[in-house]
Amino acid sequence: MERIAIVAGLRTPFCKMGSVFNDVSAQELAAFSVRELLERSAVDPKNIDEVIFGNVGQPADAANISRIIAMLSGVPFTTPAFTVNRNCASGVESVVTAALKIKSGEARFVLAGGTESMSNYPFLFKKELQEILSELSRAKDFGSKLKAIFKLRPGHYSPRIGLQMGLTDPACGLNMGQTAEVLAKEFGITREEQDEFALVSHQRAMQSRDILKEEIVPVIPGTKYKGVVEFDNGVRENQTIEALARLKPIFDRHSGTVTAGNSSQVTDGAVALFVMSESRAKELNLKPMGFLRAFAFAGVEPARMGIGPAHAIPMVLQKAGMTLKDIKAIEINEAFAVQVLACLKALASEKFATDFGYSGLTGSIDRAILNVNGGAIALGHPVGATGSRLILTMLKHMNRKDLSTGLVSLCIGGGQGAAAILER
Amino acid sequence: MKWGPATEVAVFYKVENDIATIEFNHPTAKVNILTSDVIKQFNGFVTQAQNDSNIKVLVIRSGKKDVFIAGADIKEIEGIATSDVGEKKANAGQNVFNHLEDLTIPTVAVIDGVALGGGCELALACTYRIGTFNEKIRIGLPEVNLGILPGFGGTYRLPKVVGISQALTIILGAKTVSGADALKIGLFDRLIMASNIEFEIKKFCDGIKDSSTRKAEFQRKPKGMQAFLDNNFIGHVLTFEMAGKNVRQQAKGFYPAPVKALEVMKETFAAPREKALDLEAKGFGHLVVSDVSKNLIKVFYLTEKFKKLMPPECAALTPRNIKKCAVLGAGVMGGGIAQILSANEISARVKDVNYDALAKGLQAAAKVYHQLVQRRRLKPSQATAKMAKISTTLDYTGFANCDAVIEAVVEKMEVKKVVFAQASKAVAADTLLLSNTSALSVTEMAKSVENPSRFMGFHFFNPVHRMPLIELVYTKETSPQTMADALGLVRRLGKTPIIVKDSPGFLVNRILLAYINEAGYILEEGATVASIDRVMMDFGMPMGPLTLSDEVGLDVGVKVLHILNDAFGERFKPAPIFEKILEKGLLGKKSGMGFYRHRQNRSSNPFIETLRPAKVISQEQLRELSERMIFVMINEASRCLDEGVIDGPDGVDVGMIMGTGFPPFRGGLLRYADQYGIQGVIDVLTSLHERFDAERFKPSTYLLQMAQKRTTFYPV
Repeated sequence: MERIAIVAGLRTPFCKMGSVFNDVSAQELAAFSVRELLERSAVDPKNIDEVIFGNVGQPADAANISRIIAMLSGVPFTTPAFTVNRNCASGVESVVTAALKIKSGEARFVLAGGTESMSNYPFLFKKELQEILSELSRAKDFGSKLKAIFKLRPGHYSPRIGLQMGLTDPACGLNMGQTAEVLAKEFGITREEQDEFALVSHQRAMQSRDILKEEIVPVIPGTKYKGVVEFDNGVRENQTIEALARLKPIFDRHSGTVTAGNSSQVTDGAVALFVMSESRAKELNLKPMGFLRAFAFAGVEPARMGIGPAHAIPMVLQKAGMTLKDIKAIEINEAFAVQVLACLKALASEKFATDFGYSGLTGSIDRAILNVNGGAIALGHPVGATGSRLILTMLKHMNRKDLSTGLVSLCIGGGQGAAAILER
Repeated sequence: MKWGPATEVAVFYKVENDIATIEFNHPTAKVNILTSDVIKQFNGFVTQAQNDSNIKVLVIRSGKKDVFIAGADIKEIEGIATSDVGEKKANAGQNVFNHLEDLTIPTVAVIDGVALGGGCELALACTYRIGTFNEKIRIGLPEVNLGILPGFGGTYRLPKVVGISQALTIILGAKTVSGADALKIGLFDRLIMASNIEFEIKKFCDGIKDSSTRKAEFQRKPKGMQAFLDNNFIGHVLTFEMAGKNVRQQAKGFYPAPVKALEVMKETFAAPREKALDLEAKGFGHLVVSDVSKNLIKVFYLTEKFKKLMPPECAALTPRNIKKCAVLGAGVMGGGIAQILSANEISARVKDVNYDALAKGLQAAAKVYHQLVQRRRLKPSQATAKMAKISTTLDYTGFANCDAVIEAVVEKMEVKKVVFAQASKAVAADTLLLSNTSALSVTEMAKSVENPSRFMGFHFFNPVHRMPLIELVYTKETSPQTMADALGLVRRLGKTPIIVKDSPGFLVNRILLAYINEAGYILEEGATVASIDRVMMDFGMPMGPLTLSDEVGLDVGVKVLHILNDAFGERFKPAPIFEKILEKGLLGKKSGMGFYRHRQNRSSNPFIETLRPAKVISQEQLRELSERMIFVMINEASRCLDEGVIDGPDGVDVGMIMGTGFPPFRGGLLRYADQYGIQGVIDVLTSLHERFDAERFKPSTYLLQMAQKRTTFYPV
């Protein structure tokens, strides 16, 4: 069977919501990375068989955002495109879907990736207001217009905030932070442990600034085009444990442990990857960064969505016929420090392994090979893009350090886990 | 019988059941034109339809692709020598269209392309006008562009169809509209599918031939503001008032046609047909013999010719399809170039040395798109898509698959050579290499690249999106294929080319700098900044020479003057006052101060006046000053012709009109010289030469030879 090669990738800087990319749509962000990837690789976009992007908060003005991205980036209109959404793992899903398409012979070269502009999540009207407004527009005479107008109340104008709704699980009614608190209590993970983890994320991201530049396309964002953005802007240079300790818990004011400091940042960003069959890469004279060896998705309880990786990781290891010892580097997305720590505890636990039938596959993970260039706590988590970023960052890291295997994993809002093994 | 185009059968008639069709289909020309003869043929068929009692509907259409009727015969209009003849010609056309209008059966004009001037007027005389969904449809009355007014009933009928406010916009602004817009304003009654046109026409005709069908059912009722302006007395007064103000402001006293058209429309608005058409014909007769009209028609021919310019050696070559173009140097010019490329669906790869420069380029491009969005010419999403066609880089990545490179870096030969040497290595061996230099030697620059046969000057004018001219500068090595490719690109960008030989300052800047420099000398002698600019505005220039200098930057102008001074000597020595002003850093708009102060309100910069003797200049002297500034240009242009910088006077005139805004109603710089009289030009120059003992006034050998041979720039 042919291997699935990932030959090149680029991403925009990841920038905090409402900051430098405030005026840039998710499709434009993605187009920056795609266009530059095409320019740098000198690949003729005619060769692209399909475009697949992951995106969670799909913009109302970009139905099937992948198609819009393709059109903005100079991909010929004859190339089809579709969009995938597996919430926080949408950026993995796009690569996996590309792989499946290639394996089944439906495509040989897929432009994949993920994009998210959390700055541009909409505020929505309440249903009541929507109904009054459509009544008003249907009203034929002055009387019925007036009648509709008199139905309006101040309360109708308070918007429903798209971002808040997106980060709340409708099945269990908890928002993502609250699910993190569930894990903190269950696994007995302290505030201190979490802050310590967050601090390391910032420190590592800071140290890797120049390394990460390799995967970043500098962007001069509109609509003002005032200056260039070259770096991820969520990384705090002088982050201290004291500063982290001063923050108030957000989701549980009194006994909570999850703060803005030990959670991932709400961020805008996009990633583009070339995924193709090994033979197509050879034909086009492109050297693969690495190959997708295996992937797995797991379902978990929605209220404990953060534990997803603890299930997806052993599953993907089993599929690949490997154990944790074979893995040389690991990225677990830092949705919340507590959620990563809970996964580490679970993976190291004999009982957990026996309970779920993962014996022999897992074990304790050496922190020295985990998220070595920092994670979402420092870099941010533009939900649809993060999965693709983990793959890109991991492949760059494996090439830099000449490592044979790498594993990336994410927890997924709604109660899932995703994991993929990359090899060279 | 006399053979020739005038007697060719260009109109055809057929009857199917109860529907008669008159088809315009000129046997040899690509478009249909309403010559007197064609109108006569048409009239015969109208009579035929009238006399056939079986006919229920008369359809009028065209056998040409994308053209209904392109207009009246401009050659014929140009040949009209007296107002009487003009009036009679208008009357003749009007009578035919009246005949058409007076038919008792309904008439339908089917418009599947261009319907301008007389073509539009013919359609207006029909009961119904139906268009197709063809994007090539342009319908309107652009006569004032040629210095005349619609003479076949257009000024009378258009207000009846679309309302007075729209009619004034279209006629006074020489506006043409698309099919969709024509439907919106009520000029079209229906849009039909061209793919099934026979069926659609028949269906439409079947629907209207029943005498119970009322035209009113098709008519659009104006709403809101337009309804107010169109439907009551106060609205009319206001509309004419506003239109009058606009027209006077835009015509500046130079263009009589829109003023006359407004006057006619105001008088005929409520008049009976006979009287209205009579006034229209008189107005037409009055305008058609004016110098302005004759000149505008000549300029029209020139621009049509130059739009299609193709040297014989390139005629057989296919210009390459340019999909992606690199732009070297961002900034305002590079940004402008990137914008015009992206606007025409060419992907732009802009390179500069730092991100600030790149950001400036993107700002320049975004500003143009922003304006287009504000003027509703583009939707915001379209502007986004166009902007996404521009990518930026600090190195040469992405150059390998570029089809062309346009260089717009700082005007320094060393820098340009380095940049081209690098870029030519980053692109394919046959990639087109173009420099936007405004004065530097293209031949010298071409030495820095491998395969200089692909190298040319490609000189845009600022602001890129507004100025229609591109000066193509060839060297001895430039290949015909390169010329063909460059011409193809010019056309793709919707611009007009002139082709000039590589020579310092090329054509336009060389002539223009002689003019601006003269303004400097005059300033030095004591005229005020404002009076110098005023006198040239009065001549018809869109802005005065010193305002222009402020726009471009005095440093840029003086730099080019030095280049010209080095090449041509004494006559291009920068006016000493320029150097003094430069020393003070008064560059113009970009430094906030120049000949004017550029704040919220522009005002004269009092400092300038301190640099020279104060002197009061009389109106009489001012007139002489304008002659000085114009005649040094003529003198310099004649030298350009002598040196073969350009191969004819028409190129000079197109260059000056499109590159510098030289007033079109003057017919062009050299057309103006011809009209002034070559000997007269020489006399003025000679007396100036004697008075100032300055070389720049010495009449050129070329002029002197012309006077001797009693020839003019253009053949008589």
